[in-house]
Amino acid sequence: MSSLRLLSSAARRASLAASSGRRGYAEVADKIKLSLALPHESLFSSADVVQVNIAAATGDMGILANHVPTIEPLRPGLVEVIDSGNSSKKWFVSGGFATVHPSNKLTINVVEAAPIEDFSAEAVRANLQEAQRVIAGNGSEEDKAEARIEAEVYEAIQSALSK
Amino acid sequence: MSSATWRSHFTFNRYSQICARALRQSLKESERVKAEKRGLTALRYQHWENGQGGEQVYLVPPEGKAAAGAK
Repeated sequence: MSSLRLLSSAARRASLAASSGRRGYAEVADKIKLSLALPHESLFSSADVVQVNIAAATGDMGILANHVPTIEPLRPGLVEVIDSGNSSKKWFVSGGFATVHPSNKLTINVVEAAPIEDFSAEAVRANLQEAQRVIAGNGSEEDKAEARIEAEVYEAIQSALSK
Repeated sequence: MSSATWRSHFTFNRYSQICARALRQSLKESERVKAEKRGLTALRYQHWENGQGGEQVYLVPPEGKAAAGAK
């Protein structure tokens, strides 16, 4: 009987140590319901997760349970979903909107996304060079504006890959 | 999104599509082929007035061979 009690208290101590690296002050009790959707695929459908890091247009944000309701446009950048147990998955998204609802729900709608492992650093480098060439060349203002947008996306992918 | 000079040239929808296209072009070869298909837009629109339909216009003009089927 006493060995059982010893075992359970040891387990509690171990789990506290494991999670203290992330949050530093409390056991994670609350989760937020995440729905992450692309036009052609739903990555998460009301799944309970601990934290979601997004690249909002106004800056990087980390969204925990019971976040204040907000609507954030997303810039091309990383969305990181942290589930309990130190496991985090990263997607690079091209843009969209993140909405925190009053009912502890987070809905992220993005136009295009892919896991960060699916990107080719070589392709990004070549694309970025091409875009910079168009920006510096003498095409139309529209072409240059397009190239500037693309260059921004490629630079964001590069910085995401290097993290 | 930071340097919003594109707002004088395109709509937000176009901006979204450009970003999505840039993302698709940066994938590894195996994923890229699947993703490129999602970038395809085949839309025709037609302006109606007084019960008469106008000319059907492609949103993204096809590369030439589909001109015969344009009705």
